[in-house]
Amino acid sequence: MKSNWWKILGILLLLYAFLFGILTPLKPGLPSVYPINGQTGSTLTLDISGYNTHFDQTQEQRVWLKLDNQSLLASSITTTSSNQLKATFDIPAFLPSKDEVVELSLVTDNEIDGASVLPSAIFIKQTTVDSIKGQALWQNTSIENLHQKEGISFPYRNILRETIRNLYFHVSLWFAMFILLTAAVVYSIKYLNKGNINDDHRAYSLISIAVVYGLLGCATGSIWAKNTWGTWWTMDVKLNMSAIFMLIYLAYFVLRGSFQDEIKRARLTSVYNIFAFASIIPLLFVIPRLVDSLHPGNGGNPGFGGEDLDNTMRMAFYPAIIGMTLLGFWISDLRYRLALLADKLLDRD
Amino acid sequence: MQVVKETILLIKKDLLLEWRQKYAIGGILLYVVSTVFIVFISTGDIPAPVWNILFWIIILFASVNAVVKSFVQENSQRQLYYYQLAHPIAIILSKIIYNIGLLFLLTVLTYMAMTLVYESPVRRVGLFWLILFLASVGFSITFTFISAIASKADNSSTLMAILTFPIVIPILGTLMTLSANALGLIRDTAYLNDIYTLLAIDSILLGLALILFPFLWKD
Repeated sequence: MKSNWWKILGILLLLYAFLFGILTPLKPGLPSVYPINGQTGSTLTLDISGYNTHFDQTQEQRVWLKLDNQSLLASSITTTSSNQLKATFDIPAFLPSKDEVVELSLVTDNEIDGASVLPSAIFIKQTTVDSIKGQALWQNTSIENLHQKEGISFPYRNILRETIRNLYFHVSLWFAMFILLTAAVVYSIKYLNKGNINDDHRAYSLISIAVVYGLLGCATGSIWAKNTWGTWWTMDVKLNMSAIFMLIYLAYFVLRGSFQDEIKRARLTSVYNIFAFASIIPLLFVIPRLVDSLHPGNGGNPGFGGEDLDNTMRMAFYPAIIGMTLLGFWISDLRYRLALLADKLLDRD
Repeated sequence: MQVVKETILLIKKDLLLEWRQKYAIGGILLYVVSTVFIVFISTGDIPAPVWNILFWIIILFASVNAVVKSFVQENSQRQLYYYQLAHPIAIILSKIIYNIGLLFLLTVLTYMAMTLVYESPVRRVGLFWLILFLASVGFSITFTFISAIASKADNSSTLMAILTFPIVIPILGTLMTLSANALGLIRDTAYLNDIYTLLAIDSILLGLALILFPFLWKD
């Protein structure tokens, strides 16, 4: 019991991370608005759809159209359901902008859901452009007294929506895989130094689990890509590099299978493991950063951080990584003990 | 100093062996020429991007075939004899340097054969020759080291392919970008970055090969 505390800790952390990660609701958000374009000098009625919103239970619903730092309050609002809202705007004849087509953002606020924004929600076409008249006509109502949503929730992102929870599976699987592979390299180096065959068994068990984690990471990533990018797999550098990377470790198994002699096998696979690990570092960390990529964390693309990863998400994300790693070590430990028993049986014969 | 002396001697020995068994090198060079000719017959006229891809694919396969014999050419008793005489680092270093020469010859011959049958799309010839040399260095380091591992197994040529292809992809990818630059397919002023990346990968792999080889040869 005393020596198994980390296994229990790993399971508890994973249970916590997955329950917290699945059960916590998303913040209210605005998925879409219809129509998405309008004319100056007209009355525009927008059908606004909300997600996780409570439009029908609020007392003071407010909707703005926002142009740079200026905003226009809706003249009337009717609520059709908890997720549907009709807001009417009187668009003035001129807009305070020099562009022919003006991009406006939509901001909603009520006391239950707090404030939500839909960037570039609608496009207004100006029949004649006159920014000075527009400045005079525009009745600016500053956006103030915004409400904060109460309770714990994850950020709402228009592309990600509920799939934002996949962070706890996809990313933590890759992190755990890296930790397991690093441990495997450490055991390989140890084997080459000391020549204890058990270290080789350790390295092999760790790599087996790491490859399973890698395949699961690919699968979860693929599902995520289908939802956000619209395709299972794309010609993207980080995706292709991770596929190559799986090939390298699958080749490790083939190499292992091609030797009968245990000592020879242990030595050669240890050498290959170290060589392969060093060659994937440029593969996954250097090259993807040099070229453009869809995947977060690469050329020009910010990492999955900043606005996407807030403190609430970190509360589940970091435990998920630790839990996944500990679980990996546990499974590989079982695999290792199996190898030791097999050795014992062979010795008896 | 002893290692350098041994390396030079071992390279000389390899050259001499190659000179005495001319059919080995002749076979590889013929392999390249006939591959290029098969590609030419089956494609006819091709645009520059396709030329770029075919060129590197031919070089990749020809290089694997050329290097795989590094450690199986001589029988294991003879290998043991060398290991008694020379430092392991001298052995791997001599093989790597020798293979750089061999692969450079091979890439240049592929280039010439491709130029002969197709009109050469290369715009920046100087850069292209540099790329050819860098390719020989990168391929030589990776393939020589992996062939040392693969030679210990029975089915070494299959093993050689599956072990090297994934590992060599970063090098190959960078080379293809660089060569697209030399062909004028893309206009990238930062190609020096690619060259540095390539040199960095090469030095990591070379360092590891030198450190790890002493563990490999003890048979």
